[in-house]
Amino acid sequence: MALRHARVLVAALGMAIVPALQAADSPRVWLERMTESLATRNYDGLFTHSAGEQSEAMRILHRVEDGRSVERLVSLDGSGRELVRTPEEVHAYLPDRRVVLVEPRKEDGSLLKAVPAPGPELELLYELEARPGHRVLGNEVRIVDVRPRDQYRYGYRLWLAEDTAMPLRSAVLDGDGRVIEQIQFTRLEMPAHIPASAVEPSVDATGYQWIRTGRRGNVRVAAVAGWRVRQAPPGFRLVASRFQTLPGVPVPVPHLILSDGLASVSVFIEPGPPSGPIPRELATLGSANAYTTTVQGHVVTAVGEVPQNTVRNIASSVVPETGAPPLDAGR
Amino acid sequence: MTDQIKEQISALLDGELPQNEMNLLVRRLERDAALRLAFGRYALVGEVLRAPGGALASAGFAERVSSAVAAGVSAAPSASAVAPSSRRRRATPMIGAAVAAGTLFAAVLLLVPEQGEQLQQARSVEPPAPVAADVEATGAASPTLARSQRMAAYLVAHGEYSTPIGRRNVWTGVLANDPGITRVSYEFSEAR
Amino acid sequence: MPNFPPPDGSTESHDERGDDSRPGSGLEKTDLELVKRAQQGERSAFDLLVLRYQHRVIKLVARLLRDPAEAEDVAQEAFVKAYRALGSFRGDSAFYTWLYRIAVNTARNAMASRQRRPLDYEADLGEHEQASVQSRLRHVDTPEAVALSDEIQQTVERAIQELPEDLRTAILLREVEGLSYEEIATAMDCPVGTVRSRIFRAREAVDRNLKPLLD
Repeated sequence: MALRHARVLVAALGMAIVPALQAADSPRVWLERMTESLATRNYDGLFTHSAGEQSEAMRILHRVEDGRSVERLVSLDGSGRELVRTPEEVHAYLPDRRVVLVEPRKEDGSLLKAVPAPGPELELLYELEARPGHRVLGNEVRIVDVRPRDQYRYGYRLWLAEDTAMPLRSAVLDGDGRVIEQIQFTRLEMPAHIPASAVEPSVDATGYQWIRTGRRGNVRVAAVAGWRVRQAPPGFRLVASRFQTLPGVPVPVPHLILSDGLASVSVFIEPGPPSGPIPRELATLGSANAYTTTVQGHVVTAVGEVPQNTVRNIASSVVPETGAPPLDAGR
Repeated sequence: MTDQIKEQISALLDGELPQNEMNLLVRRLERDAALRLAFGRYALVGEVLRAPGGALASAGFAERVSSAVAAGVSAAPSASAVAPSSRRRRATPMIGAAVAAGTLFAAVLLLVPEQGEQLQQARSVEPPAPVAADVEATGAASPTLARSQRMAAYLVAHGEYSTPIGRRNVWTGVLANDPGITRVSYEFSEAR
Repeated sequence: MPNFPPPDGSTESHDERGDDSRPGSGLEKTDLELVKRAQQGERSAFDLLVLRYQHRVIKLVARLLRDPAEAEDVAQEAFVKAYRALGSFRGDSAFYTWLYRIAVNTARNAMASRQRRPLDYEADLGEHEQASVQSRLRHVDTPEAVALSDEIQQTVERAIQELPEDLRTAILLREVEGLSYEEIATAMDCPVGTVRSRIFRAREAVDRNLKPLLD
């Protein structure tokens, strides 16, 4: 399945087709196997997520039944937060805020094109290596190293189970090889069947505020609404654009998605506040960075699992499309 | 492996080997794994004598460290690499970048999200003076949606366009960290 | 004649920080030389520093973590961090003092990230599941390693006791008391070259007993 995605993407970008004979143990094949396992297998695991000095215990459940996949991610830190992703919607339950964020996701098939997949061009940007590792959770593992060739992207180290290619441990590394974020399973089961009730949210969201943050709409590979990224860091290209609705924002917000085939960056362009320019702001969220700046009266935020410089560069180079008027602030 | 060389190893361990003998010996050690192991065992004897009890490294430990070092770093270590205080090191490049971007200065702040918008100034950051950043104002792009919730919404939306691993990381961050803003820096341009 | 340090670990404050910064200490000189080479890209020089300090770092980390099973992972992380940060080591302190700080920080981070774990599980899981998680978490516990460490301990102590007195005195003055060759020469009233040779022969004798255990 993942391989098919890779081919679709490659074909869409008009690039070379995946070489017919790819060594079975090449790192890219391991990445593809991992992607496929994550998307198609049933699993129930406990893991710790750590970033900087913070660490949380989480549980993940993934259920596939009749081609319908539902994923549930639960925080075990007592906050009761959880996230459920069905083919139709993503619900983020934040009981401490009495809020549910709802993101519709049923879009046309072109969403697949926007999801990064490890194509052959990846090796222009990353150095890939796979080698046998020590045992993790009692499993023989293959360690796959994905090292960026420049400072615009992060690296990854993945400990993949030899038999299933499931990532038992994964680390996001910066350009100097420092660990930024780590996920380590303490238990992982892959039962043949997971009951539907296991992926139901455990939160009673009665009386919560339901915030529908997205809107169904076509994903397009062309720029939307007169905005474009003038100059993205090497390897990043626009793979999709759509609209995102946000409460309190009177118009749909353009959402541009750029990807280098592995890492992706989202750009959101909101109408500016009435109070005038806001300071530029850089936020770090685990391995994700977000950079907010003002462009022609609009608030532009770039967010992605990439280094600070990359979100900064991308947000700073957003410009209104010439010839098309910038999105009206609508107030 | 002659006794003469092993005696040199013993003296090297004690810091008593003359410089001229040292150069040659270190090069020998580089080539000869058996000599390195002898060095390791001599060191072990000292550890056991000085502080009996407690854990010892297992036999393959040094080798694993060596491979980990080799795997993680292909070039010689650089002066810009991490120092013991990670917070400080992580903050510094941001300041550098801000200066390079032509801004007047940047303040690096630790933000405890939504708890009365508390700000804590990172102690280890230097040298910019503390800035009276108006966090309420900075979060005001969408007044009806709290800043952290907007960021969570962005991340949830963004997750759909990430790889499975990236999505899991980003969404875990949303659940774990409310929505994980641990470090925010504001840049004020001169024009402001 | 020095005695073995008391088993309560009360000598640790002496050796732990590795502040072998007594005047004339050549130890630091050796470390600095190895650091300098490693900074120039000679990884094997760093390997020697690892070989020298691995046990000390693991012991330190194991005590901080209270979980010997995790000590090696954390110690490895500390060494890797140290290697990456080597460029910033300016020799303002002894190498081990610097390494010690990195190891303590790494262990502290590891502890912070693990502290909440048992509570989290208790909150979320039933008894049965808890037991399963606990047993999985402990799967890295290796009683063999603990036994080996005891055996190493006993072997070294026995071998030292069996040494001729001049060799035993020389090595204990060096390793336990931390005296320089010159100081030992004065104490034992013999040439420095003899000290060097006695210490080496003492190590060799102990090593002959130790090597079969480790191979």
